[in-house]
Amino acid sequence: MSQWLAQVIERAGNVDDWLASARSKALAELKQKEWPGRRTEAWRYTSLHKVADLNLATTSEATTAEAPQVEGLNSIDLVFVDGHLVSDIANLTLPEGVTIASLDAKSDAAESVFGQVKPQHHLFGLVNDVLAQHGVVIDIAPNANVEQPIRIVNFASDGVESHQRSLVRVGEGAKAVIIEHGVGNGHSLNTAFAEYDIADKAALEHYRLALHEGEAIHVGGSHFRLHNESKLNSTLVGYGSQLTRLDVDIEHAGEHAFAKFNNIYLLAPKEHFDLHSTIEHAQPNGTTEENARGIIGDKAKAVFNGRIHIHRHAQKTLAELNNRNLLLTRGAQINTKPELEIYADDVQCAHGATVAEIDEEALYYMLTRGIDKQQALVMLNFGFVQELLFQMPNRALADWLQPILKQRFERMMEQQ
Amino acid sequence: MLSIKDLHARVEETTILKGLDLDIKPGEVHAIMGPNGAGKSTLGYVLSGREGYEVESGSVSLEDKDLLDMEVEERAQAGLFLAFQYPVEIPGVSNMEFMKESVNAMREARGEDALSSAEFLKKAKEACKQVELPLDFLKRGVNEGFSGGEKKRNEIMQMIMLEPKLAILDESDSGLDVDALQVVAKGVNSQRDGKRSFIVVTHYQRLLDYIEPDYVHILSNGKIVKSGGPELAKEVEKSGYAWLKEGEVA
Repeated sequence: MSQWLAQVIERAGNVDDWLASARSKALAELKQKEWPGRRTEAWRYTSLHKVADLNLATTSEATTAEAPQVEGLNSIDLVFVDGHLVSDIANLTLPEGVTIASLDAKSDAAESVFGQVKPQHHLFGLVNDVLAQHGVVIDIAPNANVEQPIRIVNFASDGVESHQRSLVRVGEGAKAVIIEHGVGNGHSLNTAFAEYDIADKAALEHYRLALHEGEAIHVGGSHFRLHNESKLNSTLVGYGSQLTRLDVDIEHAGEHAFAKFNNIYLLAPKEHFDLHSTIEHAQPNGTTEENARGIIGDKAKAVFNGRIHIHRHAQKTLAELNNRNLLLTRGAQINTKPELEIYADDVQCAHGATVAEIDEEALYYMLTRGIDKQQALVMLNFGFVQELLFQMPNRALADWLQPILKQRFERMMEQQ
Repeated sequence: MLSIKDLHARVEETTILKGLDLDIKPGEVHAIMGPNGAGKSTLGYVLSGREGYEVESGSVSLEDKDLLDMEVEERAQAGLFLAFQYPVEIPGVSNMEFMKESVNAMREARGEDALSSAEFLKKAKEACKQVELPLDFLKRGVNEGFSGGEKKRNEIMQMIMLEPKLAILDESDSGLDVDALQVVAKGVNSQRDGKRSFIVVTHYQRLLDYIEPDYVHILSNGKIVKSGGPELAKEVEKSGYAWLKEGEVA
């Protein structure tokens, strides 16, 4: 056990709210956990030694923050600073069918989602279970068609440890767009976990932007349960920061569900990014398309572990998982492991992982149009991740991200 | 404009061009016809400087500059344009950024200022209209998910935007129906201004009904074996290329 985790357990004893029974279960599990080391499979390539002795402030002075403005997004913003909700959610003008509440208040939606979608094996998920006192509960009524995006913004201030939770229920036949937007560059630890229950025939468009930089440590997860004929279209965009670790779980709990999951990671020199995704096909006739693309700068390290688990009963599953990486220097590192575990016999699955090289034919084509080789390489390399940006359904968000990512990439090229 | 003298070139161990001579004056349109495997596409690749296409001997000059001494992008900047038979898909790069980068690279080479976004967009819209491509196509990835006909029209659109001195059209007619063929031909003809020269590489005479050449050359086994006027293309249409094998080459 690390000193930090011992402290977490101690602090958990002081949390007393309406979620007490769920929290105490999580605490019991947490107490059984061993602190992950090199031999812990889920943390094999990501060392937690920077967290083990962490001793940051657990309260924050900050009370306001400006959410990054995204032109044309027109989102409903729920802003958290160091785990505290600073938006006045009581006075929001909400579209029909949307209910937004604080986690402090007991609600049916919160009760039905908290700890119910997220698997209990995630160590930091359990930490979040016992410590995240603040959060939001978003409830989309059946058949509501909510086009206006709802954005959860998480700021992590220098010197502070914080924990935030989001619980989302998308009712039967409803449609919603939710963005989790994390930022912070000071020395901080932020955990942010979100659980989504997507009812029959519902559709969720989801984005997770983990744009932490510098000394920030961010550990979080987005966890989805898909019921019959529901749809998920999710895009995750991550930087590395000192340490960024994300766990994504998508469970096909109903038949004929569809999940598209794209992820982009863009690692500046010395950053560390770790993404573990698990897709559980527990029911027949589900479809999953997962594409992960990363560009890794000098001395940066990326870890991608993508697991697709097709249960014995899950016949006629279609699942594809592809991970491609571009290493900018010899000092850049990727540890990639796509895993297919198939127990059904009538399925179509494909998986692959590559460390990419430049497409010579595309390069030649660009040169014949008079574009300088250096510039053509920048365009092709960035194009490699930009391809997934083009697939984002929300154009305003994609148009906002594009120049930010491009600039980050250009700086990465300069720092080679 | 373009002068090719006794050009020999190979791909890996196989020599494909075996002493090709061609002289093109400003404003002229030369059609190169020939059977499959004659070296028609190789000519375009060699002139554009594609890696793996090695010149063994001979010379090529574009406006009295040694073309073979230039890098691929320098040849393009010097005014050479190759419309690909199979245009490449680049899904992560939008047509918009691709063309903007390309147009401005050419302008810089000519000593002109870069176009502003508004100026570029205006020009791009006009070019799209000319080849009947929808405007939203500018936002899509380069050639991504385009039909064969759209890809060919995109090549012509690029040619219109880049204003080359010499354009090589490599089987721009292949895979096109008559309507698409006319659009491509119209785009090409709009660029015939008496100064710009063209090499139209084609297997069939059909395209030459719409783009009328000044000269027609028959390429066989790496050499031009017969040259003539537009009537030569009609002859090929009638009798095919079988006569080449029978040794009836004049």
